[in-house]
Amino acid sequence: MLPPLDEARTMEALDAALRSTAADEFEISVLARSGEYTRFAGQVIHQPQDITEVQYLVRALVNGHPYRVATATAADLERAVAAAAAGARIRAELSKEAGQVRLAGPQPDAAPGPLWYADTEAYDVAARSSLAKRAMAEAIEAGGEAAGMLGCAVTQQLVATTAGIRRATAATEASGSLTVTIDDGTAHWVDLSRSAGRLDVAGSVSHAVAQALAGRGRVDLPAGRYPVVLGAEAVGELLGFLPDVGFAGTLAAAGIGITAQAGQPLAAPLVDVADDGGVDVGLPIGFDIEGVTKRRVDFFRHGLVGEAVTDLATAAALGRPSTGHAHIAREQVPEPTAPNIVMSGGTQTEDDLIAQLEHGVYLQRFWYTRLVDRITGTITGVTRDACFLIENGRLTTPLNGMRFTESVLGLLAGVEAIGADVRSQPIPNVWNGAISAPSARSAAFRLGAAPIEPVA
Amino acid sequence: MAPMNAHEWGDLADDEAAAALLGSVMSTIDNRVQYGDARLVEAEELRLYHQLDRDPDERLEKSVGIGVRVLVDGSWGFAAAPLSDAGVPARTAERAIAVARAGVGTGPRVALPPRPAASGRYQTEVGQDPFAVSTAERDALLAQAIEAAAASRGVSSVTAGVNAKRQHRHFASTEGSLQHQHLIETGGGLTAIAANAHEVQRRSYPNSFHGNTGGSGWEFVLGLDLVGNGARVGEEAVALLSAPMAPAGVNDLVIGAQQVSLQIHESSGHALELDRILGDERNFAGTSFIRASDVGTLRYGSPAVSITSDPTVAGTRGSFGWDDEGTPARRAGLIEEGIFRRTLSNRDSAARAGLEVTGAARADGWAYLPVCFSTHVFLEPGAGSLAELLDRLGDGYYIEDNRSWSIDNRRLNFQFGTEVAYEVRRGRQGRLLRNFSYGGITPQFWNSVEAVAGQEEFRTFGYPCGKGEPKQWGFLSHGAAPLLARAIRTGVA
Repeated sequence: MLPPLDEARTMEALDAALRSTAADEFEISVLARSGEYTRFAGQVIHQPQDITEVQYLVRALVNGHPYRVATATAADLERAVAAAAAGARIRAELSKEAGQVRLAGPQPDAAPGPLWYADTEAYDVAARSSLAKRAMAEAIEAGGEAAGMLGCAVTQQLVATTAGIRRATAATEASGSLTVTIDDGTAHWVDLSRSAGRLDVAGSVSHAVAQALAGRGRVDLPAGRYPVVLGAEAVGELLGFLPDVGFAGTLAAAGIGITAQAGQPLAAPLVDVADDGGVDVGLPIGFDIEGVTKRRVDFFRHGLVGEAVTDLATAAALGRPSTGHAHIAREQVPEPTAPNIVMSGGTQTEDDLIAQLEHGVYLQRFWYTRLVDRITGTITGVTRDACFLIENGRLTTPLNGMRFTESVLGLLAGVEAIGADVRSQPIPNVWNGAISAPSARSAAFRLGAAPIEPVA
Repeated sequence: MAPMNAHEWGDLADDEAAAALLGSVMSTIDNRVQYGDARLVEAEELRLYHQLDRDPDERLEKSVGIGVRVLVDGSWGFAAAPLSDAGVPARTAERAIAVARAGVGTGPRVALPPRPAASGRYQTEVGQDPFAVSTAERDALLAQAIEAAAASRGVSSVTAGVNAKRQHRHFASTEGSLQHQHLIETGGGLTAIAANAHEVQRRSYPNSFHGNTGGSGWEFVLGLDLVGNGARVGEEAVALLSAPMAPAGVNDLVIGAQQVSLQIHESSGHALELDRILGDERNFAGTSFIRASDVGTLRYGSPAVSITSDPTVAGTRGSFGWDDEGTPARRAGLIEEGIFRRTLSNRDSAARAGLEVTGAARADGWAYLPVCFSTHVFLEPGAGSLAELLDRLGDGYYIEDNRSWSIDNRRLNFQFGTEVAYEVRRGRQGRLLRNFSYGGITPQFWNSVEAVAGQEEFRTFGYPCGKGEPKQWGFLSHGAAPLLARAIRTGVA
């Protein structure tokens, strides 16, 4: 498994491109990724894929006015630079006033943990195919079917600017996800890491098969509020809404959302959640597409509200330095994004958390969650796989999926215990994005549609 | 009208140059695969955003690459790479073969029924090339829209944007097909947010999810009247802050065209994807409550409900000449007078299920393999105006413009919120209400549809969508006129 680009030659190409004098300043970021994916369902590896994607993104500035042009090949870089400069010149001429955009100045070195793992190199197509076959065979042996994807990738990121920034990094990535279906019982597993050695694929397959077997004969649960143990994936899904409730610089700069209450205890004291590009969990990377070193940004520290992630633009609006979270999602306005959200784990196992409940529910996975109310952090979604009633400290009756509408902030405020089992999942539409979370026990979770109340 | 050069940009406008690159793939895989195809795509996308009190942000993204799909000893393989040099097509073909071989012997062999070659050209009809519109004109339009939306006191944030994309999509297969499609799409939209200490409200136009995009030229954007609608949504966002809360209960609804389009997307389009029905997507996107064996028998909706896939309709984001495995575009009735008739299928899924190929293999550019996605899927209009539908409603609510959406992994249990709701009493539209939500079960909902408004109220919305692992984007469209549904549970959020 090799990086998609030769780092030295690519940096040479960026250096050459930056010699252009067609604009006042230039910034070039390169995002590249080679990924191999073994996707399977039922009895077949049905969608094996080997995908390389590369983007050179040039931002030119003329009198503070920006224009970006992207291309997929180094051979087209010269054209992209000229086009970006031309675009910025037009913008400057149209405005007649100086623009607000500035490039990043010199940056301190990032010191992320190791990003390249030899064990991920060994997680090759043969190894993944073997594991996929084993997963399908084990599910079939149990009377069901397995579907999932095992993947490995190399991510590269380079940034060079006329302000003197030269940064490059390459990182491995291993991932796995799996759904086992046996009759009406289902169970899911997902994890990803820089290191394939941290993915317990075989053990997770066996665990999912056992959970799916136990999940047969699901029944409906009456709507209501229940003490809850959330699996790591369910907790991670909820944490994905933290930027939406205000931990994103765009909202903070507009005066909207939770960071207006910085320092207030809005989560339980056990709760530590941050975006951290330097921690060896999830998909850390040391700098953003503006070349700014990522720094840890606490969303909750011992339950106290922290701050928002920013890029250069939103940081300027807030009058503070960028936290290094510039991001451009496809089809969207560029805005700061938290790409490596991590909730600190505790010391107990998930089984310990379950054992602490006399009566409650266990929810492994949520699905199709959407924000309903930004102020309260209310979201809606459905429960999906491996949901059980908890009785006398044990998982008992399997439960059908059901709708919920609940406040993420309310749930975090009610956290009473946290597991040690931190697992990671990808963030859709975020470059190199991951959320890592442990299981957690919380005082109450509302399941079912809202009750019908009389019209006021 | 359209200048001749709207379709004549880029390196891959040249059919001979493209044929040479595709030929390199075909000669590499010749006699080594059961079947193979290659998609060579050159795409350029422009996005300009204006935000209140911020500098405009504009980007132009170009991409060119190739994706090769092969079937070797009954096993699929796919590889894709940017077109960085002339050797990429052959190397990518070799990688695809290697990927396929790694999966050989894991299960039943895939066999595609053979079919004759289909070759030719297709291009989007455009009035005004969106890439020829000056920066000054784009800027002026969005600046005016922002100013109009921000004129209402209480508006704290406004974003307005326009977008355009053009792409040469070349396709070749071992069956001898050679196709060149040049697709152009153009779109725009705006969102206004009003906030106070207790409430945040959003109004958007013409679609809350990524604006609206059509298979058309700049005339599509001009037709949106972003400035006029900007003033309206700004006023409405502020008005929502003090509007009464929408009530909970069981109510009759007239649902506006935009919200119906999302209902179609989530509960019809996805539910009818045959790869999903067969379980290919069960790990991530999910399955469907519909079974392949339900064709011809399942009463999906009331007789007022007919849902059609038709990528031959010009001007939509789901319009094309061939899908991404070379199947010619065709009209296909999916739901006819409430009865499930056809799925959204590709060749592989159709062969496995013993159903017809409806031409719904769609892939995101060159880098992802084709999966089943909606094309231009729409609710057939009924008769009458929106006013007549409200009159027929009597007492209830008129709701429009999606605010939040969620549906389970079988596309059965849904909950949607809308940006606006209006009380309707004796057929007359009354006061504005905030935070409206409704929910239900897909076939129960569609069976509760009493009437659909006529063609004069029909609107089309272009959507991006996600599916697959690794997740890829699909670009499609849905059309609808407002509909009247009875006894829907509301206030569920």
